[in-house]
Amino acid sequence: MIDFSMYDFKEPKIKAYKCEKCGTVYYPAPMICKECHSRRDPVTDKHWETFDLEGPCELLAWTRLWNLPEGYNRKFLLFGIVQFENGLRASGRLEVEKPATGMRLVATVEESDERPGKPVHVFVFKQD
Amino acid sequence: MSRVGVVGIGHTKFGNLSQYDLGDVMAYAATDALKDAGFLERRKEIDQVIVGNMASGLFCHQSAVASSVISKMDMEPVPAELVENGPASGASAIKIGYMAVASGMADIVLVIGGEVMRKVTGWTGTEYVATMLHPEAEYDMGLTLPGFGGMFTRMYMEKYGLTERDLALLAVKNHANGAKNKYAHIQAECTIEAIADGPEANVVNTYVAEPLRMYSTCPVSDGAAALLLVNMDSPKAKLFSKKPVRIAGIASATDTHCVHNRKDPLKLEAVRIAAEKAYAMAGLSPKDISFAELHDAFSILELAISEEVGFFERGKSFLAVRKGETAIDGRLPINTSGGLKSKGHPVGATGTSQAVELVRQLRGEAEQGRQVADPKYGMAVNFGGFGNNVVAMIFAKD
Repeated sequence: MIDFSMYDFKEPKIKAYKCEKCGTVYYPAPMICKECHSRRDPVTDKHWETFDLEGPCELLAWTRLWNLPEGYNRKFLLFGIVQFENGLRASGRLEVEKPATGMRLVATVEESDERPGKPVHVFVFKQD
Repeated sequence: MSRVGVVGIGHTKFGNLSQYDLGDVMAYAATDALKDAGFLERRKEIDQVIVGNMASGLFCHQSAVASSVISKMDMEPVPAELVENGPASGASAIKIGYMAVASGMADIVLVIGGEVMRKVTGWTGTEYVATMLHPEAEYDMGLTLPGFGGMFTRMYMEKYGLTERDLALLAVKNHANGAKNKYAHIQAECTIEAIADGPEANVVNTYVAEPLRMYSTCPVSDGAAALLLVNMDSPKAKLFSKKPVRIAGIASATDTHCVHNRKDPLKLEAVRIAAEKAYAMAGLSPKDISFAELHDAFSILELAISEEVGFFERGKSFLAVRKGETAIDGRLPINTSGGLKSKGHPVGATGTSQAVELVRQLRGEAEQGRQVADPKYGMAVNFGGFGNNVVAMIFAKD
């Protein structure tokens, strides 16, 4: 039996992590839980749950970046730091007309192939 | 622990040195330091060479630079190793050199920090510097160091009432100092009219990462700086022509790799902890410091660092800048060299360059117009990553 599922379209996702022993959540992935010191095995993720980090969030800080690095053929990009309802925070891109600190946003994930190397998954925070 | 002093300093001019080999640039500063100490001919008696560099593999397609420098200086078989700590590589190299001497493992250590960044274009350089960010959670997003500088500036402005004009005042102050520094990349003054108040200011001083503008961001520079360290309690201390400037305190600390994971992203915990350790080691407090070199890769960092090290209350440092308290003739001169803004920021060289400035000021050898009056203690803070690996140093004139 040939498994063709590898050819299926997979929606881009970014994972957050939860220590099964004490329930502490993380983004990005830690190697050791800061609360109970459980170690995460990066191959099996045994004793750690993963979940998609997405949905409602609040904008904590933002900038419009004009000197983009190699690979970006745009005039500028907006970036921000957000906080999710579960307390986790993330940095990513911002697609908002008039950004303002404290505004409610929704975190989505897209694929980006602008930087050198393989395509990567990036957060894009949009108007709620 | 033995007392450790600096008996020789060397510094290339910072700027565009992209036509030169990185090893040559470093060796030039190092031979200057040896000449300054009167030890050039006896250089093979040095116990250890420590080289600070951030990214020669990326910028110059060259690795093992410590070996390259040794050969260029005809110093074989002196042991030599490389220390890398992002833009704090220079100060980390000094810290490792200090540890080698203080522990008794070495009596004479040559520390060299250097970087040649301009062999690549600006946008490639920005890309290389961004590799120090968290690989998936920051770098992959397209973020850069100026991006974090912009977000930090906005948070500070919204919390404390800092204005873009306040940042421009810092540029005016630091360019006034850098214009008189023979080693500075940009040896030119700028006026508040040109970069903030005048009708053309938006054109002259464009945004880089809002609300940070060009005159609130350091240039991309090449260069090197070197120091010769000696065990002041050893008979070898008498071999040198210059009186040692003592390293009274040196310490480092770390913070989260991801900026967003800091409980309060406006607090630079690694700066505070490194400074507290350095004060404790030196038996000093912030009020004892005569002048300081603070890592202003973005002007906001001069303010935030000056608060974390205890010079000013949180959110109040820009009020002191408005009153001229940190100018060269002020109560506490900051960035007497011109800072990273005017002197330049060859990432691996900055920590050693800050230390050279401390020694020049404490010896009374700074140029006319930017020499601090009778300084006793100088402090430097070298900032790695976006504050995730920081070194603080306090030098003393005994």
